[in-house]
Amino acid sequence: MQYPDNGAFMVAAYVITAVVVVAYAVSLFVRLRNVK
Amino acid sequence: MADLLRAAAAIALKDLAVEWRTKTALVSSLAFAVLVLAVLFFARDPTAVGAVDVAPGALWVTFTFAAMIGLNRAFLMERDNRALDGILLAPIPRTALFLGKVAANLVFVAAVEVVSVPLFVLFYDVPLWRRLPELTLVIGTATFAFVVVGTLLSSMVVRTRFSELMLPLLLLPFLVPPVVGAVQVTARVLAGRPLSEALGWLRLLLAFDIVFFVLSTILFTATLDE
Amino acid sequence: MTPRDRALTFARRGTLLTGAMLVALAGVYVRALMFTPIERFQGPAQKIFYVHAPAAWSALLAFAVTGILSILYLWLRDRRLDVAAAASAEVGVAFSMVMLTTGPIWGKPIWGTWWTWDARLTSTLFIFLLFVGYMVLRGALTDPEVRARYSAVIGIMGLVLVPFIHFTVFLFRTLHPDPVLMKPEKPSLPGDMLLTLLVSFGVFTLLYVGFLTQRYALGLLRELRDEEMAHAVS
Repeated sequence: MQYPDNGAFMVAAYVITAVVVVAYAVSLFVRLRNVK
Repeated sequence: MADLLRAAAAIALKDLAVEWRTKTALVSSLAFAVLVLAVLFFARDPTAVGAVDVAPGALWVTFTFAAMIGLNRAFLMERDNRALDGILLAPIPRTALFLGKVAANLVFVAAVEVVSVPLFVLFYDVPLWRRLPELTLVIGTATFAFVVVGTLLSSMVVRTRFSELMLPLLLLPFLVPPVVGAVQVTARVLAGRPLSEALGWLRLLLAFDIVFFVLSTILFTATLDE
Repeated sequence: MTPRDRALTFARRGTLLTGAMLVALAGVYVRALMFTPIERFQGPAQKIFYVHAPAAWSALLAFAVTGILSILYLWLRDRRLDVAAAASAEVGVAFSMVMLTTGPIWGKPIWGTWWTWDARLTSTLFIFLLFVGYMVLRGALTDPEVRARYSAVIGIMGLVLVPFIHFTVFLFRTLHPDPVLMKPEKPSLPGDMLLTLLVSFGVFTLLYVGFLTQRYALGLLRELRDEEMAHAVS
């Protein structure tokens, strides 16, 4: 089957999502450790 | 009720008297309005876009920006010397303080608008005089909307550092419905079309006025110290 | 149990839940990217939907929670409600970042444009900006009582404003795809894709809960630290 060739957009979106989510998780972790 | 309005009127008159003595905010808001009107006239490609096409937007950007300069004044002058505490000690309902500030701000912004509209006609060469009643209606409803919200927000931001930066940041999202609505209605009025074409927008403006007037009046008492 | 112990319990449970959900999110990635069929006409970019829609849901949920907690704060005046409202707002900003970046990346290949001023896009953008304002206002106020009151007012005003912005743009024009999930007859997504989407919704919702719990614990611990410092000074 022929698909539109837009895999790069998909990769970009998944990478950005992971970066934002993981960065926020790390920031929470670090801030929690510092305040304890 | 009569007491409430009398107290509110007293506060509004006090504010206007103070402003009238110095005229600092009034003069700067007026000069600012003229500047914005003039600058926006040139913010277009004159061979592609006529002045009439940008006129409604220019008018409302001018009104809201000029108003924002003046809105902080109402509570800034109560911050110095902790004047607000004095007012709060007076045996008047706290709602009266809010209503008085709203009234004074309305007069202030109306004064800026009364001077800006003739200049607007002059600069942008718009056929306006025959549609003045309709235009007054739009200006009235939309101005009420952003003065009410602006007064509530300015009562809070004066307690912060950088209050002049904080007011636009918080207020601009709330200006979207009234200003978009006002621009749409103004554009139809200036194009000579009947007001009934913009009925949906007028309803939106009216609903915004009512909802945010009630909400802001209630929430204002919550912002004050116990 | 002291307040500090309670906060630490929240911190521990939140960290556990967040950790589990990060692993689950990796699972969603594997399932969405490798085991979910590619949509015939939209191609691989359609798969952005599996992270964009759940992230948007979490962001809007976070902001709704902030608004509701703001109302409750002004009613009950319990400082923990303010701490929770602030926590939810910050988590919401994080999810908004995902929503506002993946949205245009999806829109470019599917709609042919990065951005369009339709009702949902415009409302979400302004919700995001409102809550940036909310956070900046919190940062600029030092007295915790005043900060709690003022931010509750902004939270409530924002909750009321959003329908107005939505309706404003609706009067202007609209283009966002209608919900494909909740149609009364049968879901218009094929089973495989629907399952991936639903799992992703679940993971993002629990991830929100995990973040919120951690951030709430952080807020509580900071308050306790500030109180201790104030005590030590006086």
